[in-house]
Amino acid sequence: MSNRWWVPYLFLAPALAGLLLFRFTPIGIALIGSVFGETIRGDTVFQGFKNYLDLMGDPTFWASLKTTILFNLIVNPLQVFCALVLAMLVRRPGRFIDIFRVSFLLPMTVSIAITSVLWNILLDPTLGPVNGFLRWIGLPAQPFFRSPDQALPTLIAVVSWKGVGYWMVFLLAGLLAIPKELDEAADLDGVSAWQRFRFITLPMMRRPLAFVLVADTAANFLLFAPVYVITHGGPNESTHLLMFESYQSAFAFLNHGRSLAISTVILTIILITALFELRLFNTKKGEA
Amino acid sequence: MNDVVASSSRLMTVLRYAALIVIAVVLLLPVYWLIMSSFRPAEQIFANSGRFGIETLIPFELTLQNYRDILAGGFPRALFNSLFVSFMTVALGILVNSMAGFAFAVFDFPFKRTLFVAVLLSFMMPFEAIVIPLYVLMRKLGWIDTYAALIAPDIASGIVIFLFRQFFAQIPKEIYEAARIDGANWWQIYRRMTMPLSWPTAATASLMMFIHQWDAFFWPLVAASSPDLTVIQVAIARNMTLEQSNWGALFASASTAVLVALVPFLILQRYYIQTVALGSDR
Repeated sequence: MSNRWWVPYLFLAPALAGLLLFRFTPIGIALIGSVFGETIRGDTVFQGFKNYLDLMGDPTFWASLKTTILFNLIVNPLQVFCALVLAMLVRRPGRFIDIFRVSFLLPMTVSIAITSVLWNILLDPTLGPVNGFLRWIGLPAQPFFRSPDQALPTLIAVVSWKGVGYWMVFLLAGLLAIPKELDEAADLDGVSAWQRFRFITLPMMRRPLAFVLVADTAANFLLFAPVYVITHGGPNESTHLLMFESYQSAFAFLNHGRSLAISTVILTIILITALFELRLFNTKKGEA
Repeated sequence: MNDVVASSSRLMTVLRYAALIVIAVVLLLPVYWLIMSSFRPAEQIFANSGRFGIETLIPFELTLQNYRDILAGGFPRALFNSLFVSFMTVALGILVNSMAGFAFAVFDFPFKRTLFVAVLLSFMMPFEAIVIPLYVLMRKLGWIDTYAALIAPDIASGIVIFLFRQFFAQIPKEIYEAARIDGANWWQIYRRMTMPLSWPTAATASLMMFIHQWDAFFWPLVAASSPDLTVIQVAIARNMTLEQSNWGALFASASTAVLVALVPFLILQRYYIQTVALGSDR
């Protein structure tokens, strides 16, 4: 449609330049930087896969990889499930339903840093109102972030508090896009609520669910602020997630090669997980 | 029979609303408590610490002292930094990303598919994963501790390009041809015809970019550590770790950050839900 061939490229240029410089170049830097190291004199030298081999033999790395994977195996399905429940609850129009939709989204405006600060105070073993409430209803106070057994589950609950409403919107959009005729036909056939969910809603929701699961996984693999603000990886390394390890390598131990190697590992894991999750949803399509 | 159905559906409605109310309370109460606590006198905040009662929810003594306290410190500067960085990101981001969305929706050109796949890939790839290599890049550019380091990486956004493309693709192409015949150039068409139509998408994109930039913590922590460039989130987190004595100031600064984000959120959330629905319908 354009008369001159370069017109579309002019419209694209600023955005593509930004993506190239600030998204794709850093990936290149991570790949290249991870095979370099510094000598004692501060010169940069090529050292092949040494940074990766060092990671392989480093129990700290393995422990934080294990924690990150455990955290993700719980937090992602949990958040997608809760988001779907919320979306189903606010799907049908009804009195005040808009108020509930907005209320569920509202924690979006509380930044991850403030979420961390706020919940650290709310869950404080002695000062916190949550423990005050537990005592009030006759339950023992809980250590939450101060206990190696409870810190990771508490972290999962806190990030879900902030995140679930955000993911709900995407699933709600998917639910609202399901043609009304399908539900009406189901009503006429006297289909049970469970059957309707299993054979109409779920198959129609495959795409939004896949999108939310992939995006949620990517977001949670990179969780940093609560670990930095609240736990510093503790207690007993129970919340030592990979992103925090990468940050510490770069800024506490000034080992950029190691940090970039960890960044590359994170990017690879996210890519593989995303491909796996997308495949999971595609094969189901074949059987339906 | 009909009575049974009616009463069971009435029961379902009651249960549904009971669930909605419980969830809303759990989600909103912490924010309510944060904002209420910011108006409590310092000695009152944890006066009934560890106990739970009506005082936990309703402050009987109110004061603005905490807000006066934060005005004296580095907080106004951090607030300005965050506002400036967020507004610049939104303004430049709307321009740059809508132009790209326009190109993808309106023109056919070589490598269009490849470039669009690159855009989609860039939004599948989360920003935090590249914070450390991006820091290495910024150091080479000499941009560490500048506003440019805070603003530039967030301007081009794959998801915003995608949202604009989705919207622009709905506009019938005949109107562009008519305008071309009338002698309008492509910039005029983009500027005077297409952009004014797209304001609900622009509103959603602004909200997304604003909240994202306002929330930013990891990148500003790494890229702009000097006191002059500290953004609001980093300032709040530092107060938390360094001087736990002044809880009142911590609550007041965190409440300010939440309330500032709340204003565009409440104004624009309607368009947000609508546009996400449009975007998900690929």
